Amino acid sequence: MAAQLYKTESGRLFHAGAIAIITVGLPARGKTHISRALGRYLCWLGVPTQTFHVGQYRRKLVQKYSSHDFFDPANEMTTPQRQQAANEALDDMIAFLLGGGQVGIYDGSNATVEWRSHMLDRLQKNNIQTVFIESVCNDETIVDENIRNVKANSEDYRGWKLEDAIADFKERIKVTIPFYQTIEDESLSYIKLINVDQQIIVNNVQGFLPSRIVFYLMNLHTAPRAIYFARNGYSSGENSYKADSPLSEEGHRYAKNLKQVITKRLQEREAQGDSPNNQLKIWTSTRCYSYSTAEYFNDHPVRHRKSLAEINPGICDGLTNAEIQAKYPDEYEAHLRDNYRHRYPRGESYHDLAVRLESVILELEHEKQDVLIIAHESVLRCLYAYFRGIRPERAIPDIAMPRNVLLEIRPSAYGIREMKIGIPRE
Amino acid sequence: MNHNNRVACVMVGLPARGKTYIAQKVCRYLQWVGIQTKVFNVGNYRRQLTGAQTDHSFFDPHNEEASQLRLQCAIEALNDMLRWFKKDHGVVGIYDATNSTASRRRLLRERLEAADIQVMFIESVCDAEDIVLRNIMQVKLNSPDYADGVESETIVNDFRARIEHYEGVYEPVTEDESTFVKMVNVGSKVIINRICGYLQSRVVYYLMNLHIVPRAIFFSRHGESMYNVLGKLGGDSDLSPRGRKYSEALPGLISKHLDGQNLTVWTSTMRRTIQTGQHLPYPKLQWKALDELDAGVCDGLTYEDVEQQYPEDFALRDDDKFNYRYRGGESYRDVVLRLEPVIMELERQHNILIVGHQAILRCIYAYYLNYSHEELPYIKIPLHTVLKLTPRAYGCDVEQYKFDIEAVDTYRANPKRPSSLKRVGAHTPTTSADLRA
Repeated sequence: MAAQLYKTESGRLFHAGAIAIITVGLPARGKTHISRALGRYLCWLGVPTQTFHVGQYRRKLVQKYSSHDFFDPANEMTTPQRQQAANEALDDMIAFLLGGGQVGIYDGSNATVEWRSHMLDRLQKNNIQTVFIESVCNDETIVDENIRNVKANSEDYRGWKLEDAIADFKERIKVTIPFYQTIEDESLSYIKLINVDQQIIVNNVQGFLPSRIVFYLMNLHTAPRAIYFARNGYSSGENSYKADSPLSEEGHRYAKNLKQVITKRLQEREAQGDSPNNQLKIWTSTRCYSYSTAEYFNDHPVRHRKSLAEINPGICDGLTNAEIQAKYPDEYEAHLRDNYRHRYPRGESYHDLAVRLESVILELEHEKQDVLIIAHESVLRCLYAYFRGIRPERAIPDIAMPRNVLLEIRPSAYGIREMKIGIPRE
Repeated sequence: MNHNNRVACVMVGLPARGKTYIAQKVCRYLQWVGIQTKVFNVGNYRRQLTGAQTDHSFFDPHNEEASQLRLQCAIEALNDMLRWFKKDHGVVGIYDATNSTASRRRLLRERLEAADIQVMFIESVCDAEDIVLRNIMQVKLNSPDYADGVESETIVNDFRARIEHYEGVYEPVTEDESTFVKMVNVGSKVIINRICGYLQSRVVYYLMNLHIVPRAIFFSRHGESMYNVLGKLGGDSDLSPRGRKYSEALPGLISKHLDGQNLTVWTSTMRRTIQTGQHLPYPKLQWKALDELDAGVCDGLTYEDVEQQYPEDFALRDDDKFNYRYRGGESYRDVVLRLEPVIMELERQHNILIVGHQAILRCIYAYYLNYSHEELPYIKIPLHTVLKLTPRAYGCDVEQYKFDIEAVDTYRANPKRPSSLKRVGAHTPTTSADLRA
């Protein structure tokens, strides 16, 4: 569990029960992309979430994929297997939600009214709120791109020629179309996404989590871009949060080198025709050594954001680990036991930091331009964990974010690609 | 705020669909988070041009003379809005009128887009008769369009006739190429089309969280703390004996004013608010975001200490208290930003009691009562006093209950400024207690 918005006496998220999110749509409508992104976001919010991909159940059941015939709803031979996969995924999701899970995401095409009402029936009997997310796409170019970039590389087509895989997948869509029924029942809770983010219809959706999900979906996009992480330059003077010291000489050197490294990288990407229209934006915190590190980027828009400030150390400000141990042994012990959640008196925990970074994450999801974030390592750890889908618990405080490295992250449908570029010290 | 990010929210909908309510709320919310926002209400232009009391025949589309006048008002309001964007560096302008025809909307779009302003239509559709009637009763009966003493039945009938004139020509927004959000029956269905920009998505998210179920929000500062007694800033001290007495008296007063309804208590993560809430028999939540403004290096000092040790800072803070950020700490502006999720959640919730801190409650209070950023840091929120806020369609009722338990006065007036500050926005709250200095 990560960044719950608040703490309750029982430790459970307060104003939401168990929720099932069910994707609906023809193949290659970005359902898996949406499921994954949502799963990542909800995990980040501290909501116990699990995604159930029907495709994975099917692959377990039928190890070797032959061709689109398997998916033809008129194919009676394969119907039992398809049903078995769908039912197993549903069983597992219900078990997860009854066993303490809060959100289950059921990723499949769920194309018929009959099957959907069967699911709804079973979920309602178990007191589980259901929200459908239907992805409708009538823009062929989006579908084509999705088939080419995502589907043709899936496990089903290992060893296939690209063009054969594309042709087979298109057949897979074609056989499904006659059986596909869009959601029309206005009594259901549903969200319809039309051509990714062009239009969103929200019907009968209430509650804290569902409304956050809509907000998140409004900001989700699939346009290619890069996000860069770099640490603040070295500060001069005392090692103190409250002092808010300026950059040291070494810090200024670092800032200049950072500028050079990223400029070179952007030119390189431009030469490769990689998102050439992007214009780099820079976000820093409102701490002196953070915004001063961006001082040399006078040709890029720079934004100072308070929410990007590092963890407030509270009463331990300016102390070394040994001093903390000597002065506040109990707190020190508690911190060792849980360095993600423990908050030094008057300070912040990683958990608190993660909550405060939520608006940054949404805005970052929304941003179509490249962004360079210059911040403290605690902040970069949290942001990185979000993009990598790292389960926070103990992991976040130990993620390595070395000082002289520029980290490049490229979000894509199934996870992220990353690249580390050294920043010279001299 | 970047020049390219200017947005015009153009309201669309039949009369009595809550357009003005939505426009005012969005305006208040954006102003509060520090975005330059203003509402341009075409009805006000009409009332200026023709005088207030006009009966429904003025809104008959076949009444050519009146149609001409109405168009003139629409253009004047639009011109004023464009001028405001240009001269006053406005960021979000809200154009509040029925804008019920596609041709009117085209005209607005052309003029606004020519000025490099993004247009977002906000349409409120309502076919639930009870909601419309409730809106007429609640709002229109007090409208300046009807003089005092007119029978309410006469008003309702005249207003219904006015709605009928519009219904004949009303064309719902179907312009797929434009950005719009369509809300059907107060959010039971929402259609969001071509949202571009984070700012727009935030406005939509805010709209989705609004509800119209009546509720009350109670505010209480923590009971008097040991630091209050010592005159020190910040800290995480326990309650004083008088503070403990207050915490014991609080449950009685709250239950008296709650009429048996449900309540949830929100506190900060600091000892003094948790201790103050400890005897309240309701579900409780702790929010880190509700912790008191962080005074950085000045934490634990008295005002006198600050004046001596950081004379420059002390003076700077008096010059611009809203924007002054304590060394290594926070400003009021920082606090407003971190409180935004709290406000969002408050909009969604029903009855809430916030046991909070002086600076925090000032910020939340300013949101509900539309105080300017200059005024906000000087709002009086005394100790051992409960405030009850009841949000209404246009404003917010405030009741104040003072306990008979003594406490120190932590209010510090601005020595440099007289207390006659102006309030922003068009709306005037119907407060029963004036909390300003």
